Parts: sequence; structure tokens; C-alpha cells
Amino acid sequence: MRLLPPHGSRIDRGTSIAFSFEGRRYTGFDGDTVASALAANDVILLGRSFKYHRPRGILTMTGDDANTFVTIDSTPNLLADVVPIREGMNVMGQHYSGSLIGDNGRWIERIAKFLPVGFYYRALFRPRGIWPLWEKLVRRMAGLGRVSLDAKHGYYDKQYLFADTVVIGGGAAGLSAALAAAERGDETVLVERQPVLGGSLNHARFDAERMRGIDTARSLVAQALVHPKIRVMTDATCTGWFADNYLPILQGNRMFKLRATDVVVATGALEQPAVFRNNDLPGIMFGSAAQRLIRLYGVRPGIRAVVATANEDGYGVALDLLDAGVDVAAIVDISARSGMGPLARAASEKGIEIVSGGALREALPTEGGLSVGAVMVADNAGQDRLIECDLLCLSVGWAPSSALPAHAGAPVLYDDSWHGFTVRETPPGMRVAGAVNGVWDLDAALEDGAGGGDIPATPSPNHHWPIFPHPDGKEFVDFDEDLTIADIRNAVADGFEDIELVKRFSTVGMGPSQGRQTASNAVRLTQEANGGLLADARGSTNRPPAFPETLGALAGRNFHPVRVSAMHERHLEAGASMLIAGAWLRPACYGGAANIEAEVNAVRGNVAMMDVSTLGGLEVRGPDAAEFLNRIYTMSYLKQPVGRSRYVLMCNDLGTIVDDGVACRLADDHFYVTATTGNADGVYREMLFRNVQWRLDVDIGNVTAAYSAVSLAGPKSRQVLERVCDDLDLSAEGFPYMGVREGTVAGIPARLLRVGFVGELGWEIHVPSSMGEALWDALMEAGAEDGIRPFGVEAQRILRLEKGHIIIGQDSDALTHPHEVDMGWALGKRKPYFNGARGIEMQMKQPMTRRLAGFVLPEDTAALPEESHLVLRDGVIAGRITSIVRSPTLGRPIGLAFVPPDMGEPDGRLAIKGPRGRLIEATVVALPFYDPDNKRQAL
Amino acid sequence: MTDPAQHTRRSPVYRKLVAAGATFREAADGAVAATVPGAPRPLGLADLSVLPRLGYKGPGALAALATVGVPVPEANNTALAMPGGGLVARLADSEALLLGDPTGTGDPLAAYGALHGAGCYAMPRRDSHAWFTLAGDRAADCLAKLCGVDLRPHRFADGAIAQTSLARMNGILIRDDRGGALAYHILADSASAPYLWDCLIDAMAEYDGGPVGLDDLASFASAE
Repeated sequence: MRLLPPHGSRIDRGTSIAFSFEGRRYTGFDGDTVASALAANDVILLGRSFKYHRPRGILTMTGDDANTFVTIDSTPNLLADVVPIREGMNVMGQHYSGSLIGDNGRWIERIAKFLPVGFYYRALFRPRGIWPLWEKLVRRMAGLGRVSLDAKHGYYDKQYLFADTVVIGGGAAGLSAALAAAERGDETVLVERQPVLGGSLNHARFDAERMRGIDTARSLVAQALVHPKIRVMTDATCTGWFADNYLPILQGNRMFKLRATDVVVATGALEQPAVFRNNDLPGIMFGSAAQRLIRLYGVRPGIRAVVATANEDGYGVALDLLDAGVDVAAIVDISARSGMGPLARAASEKGIEIVSGGALREALPTEGGLSVGAVMVADNAGQDRLIECDLLCLSVGWAPSSALPAHAGAPVLYDDSWHGFTVRETPPGMRVAGAVNGVWDLDAALEDGAGGGDIPATPSPNHHWPIFPHPDGKEFVDFDEDLTIADIRNAVADGFEDIELVKRFSTVGMGPSQGRQTASNAVRLTQEANGGLLADARGSTNRPPAFPETLGALAGRNFHPVRVSAMHERHLEAGASMLIAGAWLRPACYGGAANIEAEVNAVRGNVAMMDVSTLGGLEVRGPDAAEFLNRIYTMSYLKQPVGRSRYVLMCNDLGTIVDDGVACRLADDHFYVTATTGNADGVYREMLFRNVQWRLDVDIGNVTAAYSAVSLAGPKSRQVLERVCDDLDLSAEGFPYMGVREGTVAGIPARLLRVGFVGELGWEIHVPSSMGEALWDALMEAGAEDGIRPFGVEAQRILRLEKGHIIIGQDSDALTHPHEVDMGWALGKRKPYFNGARGIEMQMKQPMTRRLAGFVLPEDTAALPEESHLVLRDGVIAGRITSIVRSPTLGRPIGLAFVPPDMGEPDGRLAIKGPRGRLIEATVVALPFYDPDNKRQAL
Repeated sequence: MTDPAQHTRRSPVYRKLVAAGATFREAADGAVAATVPGAPRPLGLADLSVLPRLGYKGPGALAALATVGVPVPEANNTALAMPGGGLVARLADSEALLLGDPTGTGDPLAAYGALHGAGCYAMPRRDSHAWFTLAGDRAADCLAKLCGVDLRPHRFADGAIAQTSLARMNGILIRDDRGGALAYHILADSASAPYLWDCLIDAMAEYDGGPVGLDDLASFASAE
């Protein structure tokens, strides 16, 4: 039922919102959560428990427990007590089969005694192989919500945030801390999980008249909101602490990554349950939850209430219930307190019956078992009394909300005199303030927030042992996993004596609420069962995230840098399908795979061009440039003439081939070196690393992105180039194979290299990348009358294989040295040193175990073997294919394979295990397959 | 109307600006987007990629620049205005970057384009790096979605440089306020420029930001 104002500070009664729950339509107000709106409609059954399908309702009203898990539209496992209602939303309870009220799965509780903790570790794995069947059943029974496979991608992102001081928690201590930091001049960020600042000031009762909290909140919040040094973030959750005060803060669909000099943790405390039979029935909730319903949402939480308390807070709860028109049947004070505080006196004066020194026996359900109907208590004389009620509020103690200090390494240990956990030392750059620091008085909390030195101790609000075993059990320690007193004791009896082991064996504290309502009682019971001391006992390790994070929030906006050449759009316009090569996108082929053969034929018989901008480009300049290349590459460069290019092969210290390209000598002290597309950055890094040691007078510049390059190839390439290049002699004599010139192409300053990866007459034309598209356009236009066409990586793979050129990384692996791929010719024999020389020498002292050999298959081979298919000898693995294509030029399949040296001689036969295990016979041939005299590239 | 594709030198993102409906004008030896529909905006991203810029590196680079009168900053990661327009950014003891006039008028770098000598090597920064300018009061907030460096104006002075990671790319950020308005030059891999442009446009949306032209940038200066 709704209460009249001033109850309901968060709701706007002028705006009604309709939604459905379990198929029925309800209305609430703007500002309501799902749970508060349903409570206002007298719906208190929200879902079922995970294991036994017990009915569950509101416990905390702060999103700290898993009782209120619901599925909203397509998103499961949302917390009904904190998720705001939205017009038209469709809310369903979870963990049930059939209907929420009639749940077909509730029979499981009747066999609970056969399902002790760890039962499935022991029972469900025999006979062998049976577990998958059980797993299916267990999963169906558990009903962990349903993920919609039609869910749309959400937009999530991340943003860095910086602060001198960040205050986590916007209650009394947090507000005070933020204001104090801001007054000192600190840039301050104040982070609050709830939609408004104020924390417990907004709902708790600090005095009999109840205005103290409201007035304090009003004043502090007003100051904080206008302070120019404070950034207030509400609905924002700090989910963890990481080194150097790096804090993830979730707000909406954004994760802020906040770096702060100082962190003040003012996260308050978490109310803790009493453990007694049926303590999980809907209608049993924390006193603070009832106060939140009343004060924040204007909801009367029940008609007839019992308050079980061990502290002054419970009396405040009773007074609030009275104010809300609830009949308070009794306050059962389970502490042995002498003397009463102002709230207790006020409650007494109001005529509420107080059962002092009482104990909780059990809660009894209504008929149907869906909510609390009465509570059996014992008075101080030990006499049992049954008190009918539909609301039982628990105010028996608190635990510090200590996740963040725990993440930072602060010891959180049990304090015997405080009867609960306390945060001990915090690391430099972090302090705790207010209730999380065990400060239980409003004035003291304000002072503590402001960093006010020694705070006088306040009496503990915690009952020393709020645990009431019952002969029939069902006293729940952990609501997430339906764990009872007996379960904890049994875990210890099974030999799991440490709380970390108890946790893992029994799953206590491992559910969605991560032990927030569990840790204190679990440690009490564990220590009792194994005869240990409670003093300085620790809870299980607390790790981030402190609160649930969605995968979307963790992923954020995807940043996947992709590199494209200046001609990228031209490729797309020409119908290219792109493939990923390192960080680059490259055209695989144009107009579909059916055109690959035509692209190959154009290179062999006419003219074609390829975008090779993705090749690495490195400027090596300085007096020692030639000496530098001489050391880092295997060939000799000291006497390389200006205007010539030379092959470069790079090995690592083991002698393994790691990269290749060409070095163009543009001047005595200037080489322009190319590297493979995928390894350009690696080569650059290696060069810098080596020269730090060699200290040669040389500068290395990575100019990969600064140059676009086109490979113009084919018998007609010269005549095409001549149309756009009039300042260079392009004849075979004037510009021979492996020559390098600087000139202009279509008016664009260019470096021209006569190289031949594809084995035809051709040039690589390197120009400033800002002019790459213009170069592409000019060459396409110049070649139009000859029918020029672009070719892609797929055609190039065929062309180079026909020519017997290897691709490093495909035809070599992490152990391939030059002799294995027949590249001994590329090793400078008369040099004193090059990278990898010693490694190669050592390798060659061993017998060769393999070599790369060319092979051909019969023309009519239908299903080709693939790369990595095996070469067999006498049925045993002897080698593998590294490259294979159907060659349009030779009209048959050709390939390369690693084979034992004796199998690599021309005319030898290889048995290849092809598709579906079929053996295919290949013939070894000498390389290259095409134009063995290299006449075509030298035209 | 000037067509950027008619020029030999083209920006790696000129198509993005064509798609945004930009009007181009000639600048240096290319065409820049002068205005873009929707401008002026509270936060604008302009493409200056075709404008002149130079890089020099090597142990003798800074000395060579000083010799020809370039006011090389005293400290690394700081930038100074050059007489006649443009900026000189000192990236390291052995590296500097010279940016031409961001309004696209004149070529203050013309005199410095051919330095060479002992330990001084030219770098083709006009081609290796795209050049964007992000201007507007929320520019630092916008960049905080891509970059982990604290770029807020009271922590990152006018003329300060960050060589850092930007949307998981290497990038150089130079604060160079336009009149009274906060502005950063962004220099990053030209091959990834279309990607970075999209990332920035996406990050700007919540601040009502979008692409602007070079002439639109002037509105930030006059807004003082």
C-alpha cells in the first residue's frame, strides 16, 4: 500500500508508469524500482531460490542480495530492488518451473536431506560419463534466467577520469569527506550507487523526531552539488580497486576508468541477517529495507510487524513502522543490553511491547508457504511465544562494506569486541570513513569523513551470535545457495576447516551477492565448528568485481585499428574482396574468386597492377648505413652500387628466417629497405634494438605509412609506364632488373624499383601516400588501352609460387634456417658477422633433417590437398605441404613441401595424404616451376 | 567547387568530408574542407592532412633547426609558435615536428624543407601522419574516451604534447588553443586515419560535435 507524503522522497506521484510482472499489469510511479512498485501493489513474492526453489522477496532494497533476481524483457538476472520501472517493461521472476506461485520445481526441497553440500561432487559422477546428463537436469532445475538470442547489441563505451580525491559513497561520511577535500582545493569525484546522494541519511532514523538525517542530508547534499571542485556521480558503482588507485566506475552503459591520488572509501555498512528457521520467507527483511520502502518509496511494507533487533537501529525501524501506520506487534530485543538509547526510549513511550533478551525460534509461513505468517520467539524466561505478523524486520548487526579496502590489501578481520569484521590498516592513498570504519554515530561519521583524527569509539551495533539453530533445520546462512547451519558444519566436518575451503566446498559466499550477507555468520559457524578463535579471523578473499559487471561494460566500445592504403576505396569500387594481413586490409581478388585466374593471366600475358603499399618501408641513413645492413641482413651491402637494389634476408640469433625484402641504395649513406606486410614493425623494432648495441652512426626511420606503392607487372608494363614517366630511361639497358631510380610518374615524385616477385617484367613504384590514389588512377588510365587490370593477393600467391618464391611464415616456420629453403646463396660468406650467422653455422653442423621441395600433381587431380596436409613415407609422417595452388600458367597443381632431404631430389615421388585421407602421388621438381632462366623479369 | 579528388595530393579522409557535405577550397597543393554543414558546433573535428608539415630526427636535428632560425622549445614534449605561423613541436632530444599554418594560408615551412647535415634526417610526416584538429570546450572530455592521458586544460598546458595511445593507435597530441577555445592537434598513422576519424566522430556525438571545415575552425577563435 502507498503511503502519503512526506513518505516517498524518490517517487514522482505525478507520473504513473505501467509494467507487467508475471504477465499481470501493475502501475507504479516514476522513481519506483520494480520491487517497490510491486510492494506498493502488495506483491512481495519476487522469485524463487536457486537450489530449493523457496519463495523469496525483498531483503535489502539495495541490490546487495540475489533474492530479487528477475528477467526484464530479454535481460536476465537484474535486481528488482534497484532497477527502476519503465513504461511497458515485461518483468518475470526467476528460478521456477511453470508458474512463480505454483512452481513445479519446489519438490526438490523435500529431498533436501539427500542433497547435502558437495553431494554432486560425490554422487553425480558415477557411473563414468553420466555427468553430462545430470548437468542438463541440474541446469534446468536451477533456471538461471534465459538469455535472449535475439538481443540487440548495446552501445557501451569507456572514458578515463581523473581526480585528486575520489570518495566512494555519498552518505554522511562520504559527503563530509568530499566537501573537506574540495575545500582543500582537491578536484574531487563523489561516487554514489544510488540515484541520489545522502545514503542512510535519507531513510534511517537518527533521532526520535526523525528530522536529523533529513536536515543533515539537505545541507550537505546542497553544498556538494554546487561545489565547483566536486563532480557528483550518482547511479554510479565502483566495482573494484586496482593498483595506484585505478577504479572502474560503472554508470549507465559507460565504464569510467578513474585514476585518483587519494581514495576515501565511505561505502557504509551492510545489514546482516539473523540465522533461524525459515529466515528467508518473503516478508522477512532487514530493518533498513523496510525503512527504505517507507521513506524513499512511500510503501507500507506490511500490516502487522515484529522487529527483531540487537541495536538502537531496530527501535528506529519500529518508530518508522508506526509512523507508516504499521501495527508493531513487538520488538524482540535479542541483545542483553542494559540501558536504552533515545530511540528505544521513544519506542517504549509509544507503548510498543518490547521482548527483552528474547531469542528467535522460527518463522512460520502462511498457508501456501509463500510469505511469513508468524514468528515464534522465546522471551527472556525461555517461554516460547507465537506472534502473528506479515512483516519481520531484522536489525541485528552490520558488516563493513569493505570490498574496496580488501581489494587494496587492507586486512578485514573479525574483532571480538565489535562482534564483527573491521577494516584494519589501509594502504597509502586510501582511507576508510564512517560506518565502513566502524563509526556508528552521525556526528562522529561526519568528523571521520572530514578526516578529523581520533574518533571516539561507539558501541557495537552487532549481536555477538545471531544464530539460532533449530532441530528441523532450514536456518539459512546463505540465501543465494540455500545453505544452512548444518551445511557449514558438515563442510567443516568433512575436513574443510579453513573458511577458504568451506567457501569452495559449500559455495557459501560464492553466489551473486558474494557473501555480503553471509561472511560474518559463515566465519562464526566455521570457527565454532573447528574450535578456532573468532578474534582476528578473516573472511574469504575478496576480489573484484565488488558488484556485477555486464560483459558489455567490460568490452566497452571496440577499438580495433585497421590500416588501409591510399587506394583502398578504389579497390572497393573495383569489386575487391578484402582480406586481413597483419593490421592491413588488402584486396584478395577483384570481382570474386572466379577472376583470380584472369588476374594471373593478365600478369603473365599482358599487364596488371597490384597495391603493395602495405610492404614495410624503412629509411636507413647515415655514414654507417651500409655497415648496418651488412650486420642485420645476411647478404653483403658494402659494395652495393647506388641505383641498385639487393635482396635482404633477416635471421634471428638461432638462424631462423624472420623477414625478407629488398634494400635500395639511393645514395652512399641512404638505403630504402622494404619488409613484409605483417612484420614491418617487428623489423623496425629489431633494427632499433640492434643499433642500441652497435651504436653505429645511422638513423632508422619507419616510413611504411608514408609511401604508397604499386607493383606494375606484365610484358606490357614498360609501355604503360612510359606513358606516364618521361624523365627516366625505362629501357632494359637504362633501367635493368634490380635497378632503382628516382623520378616522376604522372608528375608524382616516385622511387621506382625493378623487382620481380611475380617473375615478369615489372616495377614497384613507391610514392608519397597522400598521392597514392592519384598514382593508381594515373596508371589505370595509362594502361586502359592495353586492358590493364588490378590483381590481388590471391593471384600474387599463385604467381610467386610459380616462380618458386617463398613466403616467410608460410613456407618457413619458427625453426627454418636458410639452407632448409635452399637460400644458402643469400648468406654472405666473406662477412665477419651478420645476425644469425652463428646460429646457422651451428645448425649446419647437424645433419639436415628437411628441405623445402617443389612438387607437381597430375593435371586431373580433382580435390587438391591443402596447406599442412601430410607427406608420408611408408605410412609414417615425413613432411607437410606449405603452399599449394592450381597453376593457370602450368595447367597443373604445384606446391612446396617440407620433406626429408633425400626425398627432395627432382623426379622423386611423394605420397601426400589429401582430403578424406586419400593418398595422392606427387612428383618432385626443381624450382622454379616457371621461367627457370629468369628471362621474363629481365626483359 | 573544388573537388579534392582532382588534386594529386589527397587527404586519407577526404571521402568522409565529401560524405558530410563539405565545401572544399584549395590549400597548399591540395584541397581542404573549408566548411561543413552543421558548423559551427560546440565541438569540431577538422582535417588538415593535406597541409604542409615536416619532421626531422637524428642527433643533429634540433641544432640544424635552430641554425636556420626555428625557435626550438627548451623541453621535450612542448610546442612553440613559429614566426609567420605554424608550430614547432619538440618530440625528443633528437626529433622535432614542424606544423604549417593550421588555417591553410601561406607556407611558413617552405624555408625549412630541405635541411640536411650531420645527424639531421628529414621524415615524411606529411604522408606518414594524418593531421586533425579537435576544437571546443569539451575536447578533453571527448579525448578521454580514446586516450588515458589527463588532457584537461588545467593539467595539460597550451603547447604541451603527449605522445601516447589514442583509440589503441600511436598518436601525437599537441594542445594549441584557437583564440580562447581549447584545441588539440592530433597526428596519427595516415593508414589508420579513416578508422581514427570514425572513432573521434563517434566520441564527439554526445557533446554535439562533428566534422567542421578549416574556415569553421575560425569560429572557435572568435568565440572568445
